[in-house]
Amino acid sequence: MMKATFSPYLKSIAPGIKEFIKELSEHYDYVSVLSSDSKGFQLTVSQRVKAIDGTTLTTEKGSVVRVYKDGLYSEYSFNLFDPSKAKETALKAMKVLDAQLALLKDTGSTVYWTGKLDDTPQELFTEMDTTDLPEDADLSALVDKLQKFSDEGVASSEEILDCSIRAASTHICKMFLTANRDLRQSYVISEGAVTTIGARGEKSTYGYSGVSDREGPALFDRMGEVVKNSCKNLDDALGAESIVPGEYDIITAPEVSGLIAHEAFGHGVEMDMFVKRRALGAEYIGQRVGSDLVTMHEGANCVKDVGSYAFDDEGTLAGDVIEIEKGILKTGVCDALSALRLNSKPTGNGKRQNFEHKAYTRMTNTMFDKGTSSVDEMIASIKYGYLLSGMDSGMEDPKHWGIQCIISRGYEIVDGKLTGKVVAPVVMTGYVPDLLNSISMASGDYESFGTGYCGKGYKEFVKTSDGGPYLKARAILG
Amino acid sequence: MTDKIIELLRQSDADAFEVTDKVTEGWEFYFIGHKLDQNRAKEVEHIEVTVYKKLEDGKFLGSASDEIAPTSTPEEAKKIIQDLCQRATYVKNPYFELNSKNVTVETKDYGIEKTARDYIEVMQKIPETSTEYINSYEIFAEKTTRRYVNSEGIDVTTTYPSSMLEVILNAKNDEHEIELYRMYKAGSCDKDSILKEITDSLKFGKDKLIAKPTPNLNKTTVLFSTKDPVTEIVTYLCNKTHASVKYKGYSNWEIGKEIVEGVTGDKFTVRGLKELPNSSNNTPVDSEGAPVYDMYFLKDNVPQNFWGDVQFRYYLNVKEGCIIGNYCAEGGTTPEAKLREGNYLEPVEFSDFSISLIEGTFAAEIRLAYLHEGGRVTPVSGGSVTGDLNELLKNVKLSKEQKQYNNFLVPSVIKMENVTVAGSEE
Repeated sequence: MMKATFSPYLKSIAPGIKEFIKELSEHYDYVSVLSSDSKGFQLTVSQRVKAIDGTTLTTEKGSVVRVYKDGLYSEYSFNLFDPSKAKETALKAMKVLDAQLALLKDTGSTVYWTGKLDDTPQELFTEMDTTDLPEDADLSALVDKLQKFSDEGVASSEEILDCSIRAASTHICKMFLTANRDLRQSYVISEGAVTTIGARGEKSTYGYSGVSDREGPALFDRMGEVVKNSCKNLDDALGAESIVPGEYDIITAPEVSGLIAHEAFGHGVEMDMFVKRRALGAEYIGQRVGSDLVTMHEGANCVKDVGSYAFDDEGTLAGDVIEIEKGILKTGVCDALSALRLNSKPTGNGKRQNFEHKAYTRMTNTMFDKGTSSVDEMIASIKYGYLLSGMDSGMEDPKHWGIQCIISRGYEIVDGKLTGKVVAPVVMTGYVPDLLNSISMASGDYESFGTGYCGKGYKEFVKTSDGGPYLKARAILG
Repeated sequence: MTDKIIELLRQSDADAFEVTDKVTEGWEFYFIGHKLDQNRAKEVEHIEVTVYKKLEDGKFLGSASDEIAPTSTPEEAKKIIQDLCQRATYVKNPYFELNSKNVTVETKDYGIEKTARDYIEVMQKIPETSTEYINSYEIFAEKTTRRYVNSEGIDVTTTYPSSMLEVILNAKNDEHEIELYRMYKAGSCDKDSILKEITDSLKFGKDKLIAKPTPNLNKTTVLFSTKDPVTEIVTYLCNKTHASVKYKGYSNWEIGKEIVEGVTGDKFTVRGLKELPNSSNNTPVDSEGAPVYDMYFLKDNVPQNFWGDVQFRYYLNVKEGCIIGNYCAEGGTTPEAKLREGNYLEPVEFSDFSISLIEGTFAAEIRLAYLHEGGRVTPVSGGSVTGDLNELLKNVKLSKEQKQYNNFLVPSVIKMENVTVAGSEE
């Protein structure tokens, strides 16, 4: 292991950013700046085409300043900062924000008054452990390795038309400064995903598998196994039939459990939704929303994966919040401004897509706690149902606690045994408390998955992970 | 900085290169109810560079891309370019040629303040009531100036506006409250259109409050009449004729061969368009410097052209083409009113509606639908709608009337037979 070294660029602009903050503090009651310098790479290798790109969803280089005056927070994003011209940049930011305020005044807009953020002194400098750094990776060798895996995938079956492998790694460096705070962090996240495309007769479909961690590109040593999983998933999908819509006993594999955690209660307890009265969860704090087997954690500290960091994009230290404990909804997660509005505490969940975007309450890692059953015991307990595996997508509905999960495959269970029959795709819909209250068994497994992205509505994409154990429940499938 | 980067690229070992410099000014306003939650502005520049290296005597072409920060020193930029030249040798792709025909375009300026003002003003005019009202909204107004330069002589600059409005609508009765999500994109704010769209959406909210569980209809006639399903179907058809999709093997469609056999209903004619009124995708040149022009993708269900990136067009031996951002699906011969006769389900709100590019299947939870049965219209909610376009395209009816959603001009309704509807009744 080694340390993820902090960005020399951020270190070099820190004095200029501090001067910039000082200039703006003459005019505003609170000023903070988040500066980022995150570098990485993304490789795509398939039988048809290959690509190397130095950008990923999480690479960025720029700053955002947040200022506060008269109950209003305003922000200015920029990436042409010259540390020797801090005053000019401050004047530029004030000019454009003043122009916006003039427009708001002209249109008769009023302010949602919010209190001032805490700025008691705080310092943090964290260079997290990592296997290696993306900037040191031997990309030539890595391309060759991924090509070999792709070739092996395609060679494993005549039905496989292509095996596309994506590997991305980002060295994230962020610096949060105010008049009294100086927080700096550096860490590496990596993710790899394999999509195999295949055809059997008239049917074309795909298999998918992935791997992710808060580690360096050494993670991609595991891609051979991921390719095998993807090929198996494709084979199962090619032989799949349509499901007969209905209500079934189900067992969710850990990635599907994670999808439920994310869509069911993850979004539902993002507390900026409480401020807007968009989440039913606000009215259910302290009440039962799941069975005794349901305990759910959310936080950058609750597991080590792509959603893990030391502080969030508003300078709040990372946390580990127990959202649901033995079926009782305890609390939500909260960004700093929503916490002020709700008279609550921020939980380290204020995240931005990048420095150009607003901070919202966002998920980091969302996990169900494990139980004590074995998967074999869970399967044996089902008369007729499905083991659900592989996640395609999900959509939240915090206002009504509806849930939609598109699941890749369902494996039929009859009289306590897997029959070998596969159905695909599977749409799981229902009412979240009904689903969580129906959870009757949880396995001792515990896995997180972080190869996807999470949006707020249909925008603001950030990295998150989720997971947990196998869960037995009852759900409507279609 | 861009000119310095171009100079460094010309001095480098690159056999070819592309530079895209985007300068974006953006104004954003976030409202809770009608109170300002936050205002934001951005002024940013992003310079993307791709270098190409000929490999094995020009049989292959390697490439590598990265962003060079506008604050980089010449030495830092030079180092990135050197690294890219090396990285480009790691990926052997079949040879292709970049666009080389330089075009001159007229540049116009756009005022983002005016766009932002229009959105703020129109949102203040929405006819809210005590039971149907605005929960929150976010306004984005941007102006981007994009300069594209490549080693083959293209150097073209375009400026274009884009805007977006995200709105959360609420409706409530004595028992409960529901919400609807809307996202509108356009070049600038069309106040009349926004006012009408949101006013109509408030009616959906009212109906969702009284919606009954969707019955289990199994295979039934479905009429799609809202943005998500209609534009998703057209997007699927466009993407199946995209050169990269074809080259990668995700489309088995062939020029001149009908995409579905045994069609008894209407057939799709789909075009890419250089411009649609107030679209956020109106640019005279594409992101690779090629002039954008109108082009048929499908005529009566028969693919006419593979379109898109120059790399994949070259591989498919398609010499002329471009990346197009506006799409038109022509209407059929039947008026919408005629298609609305008889019994059918009209799902109008989904949690998410997307179509698998590879499989042609869709599966979506119904958040609001209208069940038209025996002359009665009943709002229903819950359950799901699923289907396979490979089968459903055999019997489709397209309305004669068209409707525009930002960069899509599409039939106002699409009617399909034998769509699977799983209900939510106990």
